[in-house]
Amino acid sequence: MKKLFGLILFMGLGVLIILALNNTISFPKFGSVDLSDRVADAYLDNDNVSEVGSANIVTAIVVGYRGFDTLGEVTVLFISALGVAFLFSFKKEKRLDLKFKPNFMLKHGSKLLFGIMLVVSLYIITHGHLTPGGGFPGGAIIASGVLLLYLADDKFRSNIKGFKVLEGVAGSLFVIIGLLGLILATSFLENFIASGTVGQLLSAGIIPIIYVLIGLKVGSEIASVVDNFLTEEESA
Amino acid sequence: MTIAGYVFMIIGGLFFLLGGLGVLRMPDTFNRIQAGTKATTLGAFSVLIGVGLVNFEWSWIAKIIIIIVFIVISNPIGSSTIAKATYYSKYKPDNLVQDDLEKRGDE
Repeated sequence: MKKLFGLILFMGLGVLIILALNNTISFPKFGSVDLSDRVADAYLDNDNVSEVGSANIVTAIVVGYRGFDTLGEVTVLFISALGVAFLFSFKKEKRLDLKFKPNFMLKHGSKLLFGIMLVVSLYIITHGHLTPGGGFPGGAIIASGVLLLYLADDKFRSNIKGFKVLEGVAGSLFVIIGLLGLILATSFLENFIASGTVGQLLSAGIIPIIYVLIGLKVGSEIASVVDNFLTEEESA
Repeated sequence: MTIAGYVFMIIGGLFFLLGGLGVLRMPDTFNRIQAGTKATTLGAFSVLIGVGLVNFEWSWIAKIIIIIVFIVISNPIGSSTIAKATYYSKYKPDNLVQDDLEKRGDE
């Protein structure tokens, strides 16, 4: 009876929402509005691209026009990492035991691989305003390299305190750059460095700086989450 | 140079095809792993060298060298790790003649 009532309520609510949102003045019919002539054209406009200075338009939107949203996004990641750390933090930690011992080749080969992954991720992070990629995927590659080291060696523990310091510094520098925009220019996270030539490595003002900070922050955050998941409480 | 590059790419594509065929046709996991890995390593090499010959510039070649080094290290490690995990999950092919790892013990 309770379930039936819930189902009727649920479906009635759904029908009401559809009726309310469909084909009214504030919510026109699905597909009847051409959104491309509202914002997308402005973003793709040649004058605006040269003003922002980022050859990658996705980056121009994510870090340039919508930089404040990205700050919120990074905060969401930070809070989720904090929640994981809160759940899995113990007084005395030790590595989770793996089921079987990794052999010599895996242990030492993965260290070589980690170097290459670091190079690739730094390339992706620093070229975020020129090519697809940027801080978030680059940081995820750093973290996956750390995960590889954890899985390939049953005694490995990374310097997690260093990661936490790095994360905090990167996050605060992000906010400080935003505040500098407020002081030197007119609004929060506004570009206060000259954009330079579109397509050069040193261009687009604060966008590459912010993306490097985001990459470091995302990488260290996910790496510390990995560490939290692969440690357990040491039984006395 | 361009023609040589395309020839390398076609050779690489053929190796990929053979690798895929091997994964389909080989009888058990270990054989499939070796068919897949060996063929794709050589196939990826050939395709990458072909791309490097077609675009003969330093910026391309440096990236291709990094990719090749990555494949050289990651492909054998990955396949050997999968093979070892398969072994430890007690999977044995029916027509296995000799099991050296069992005699030698762990590690």
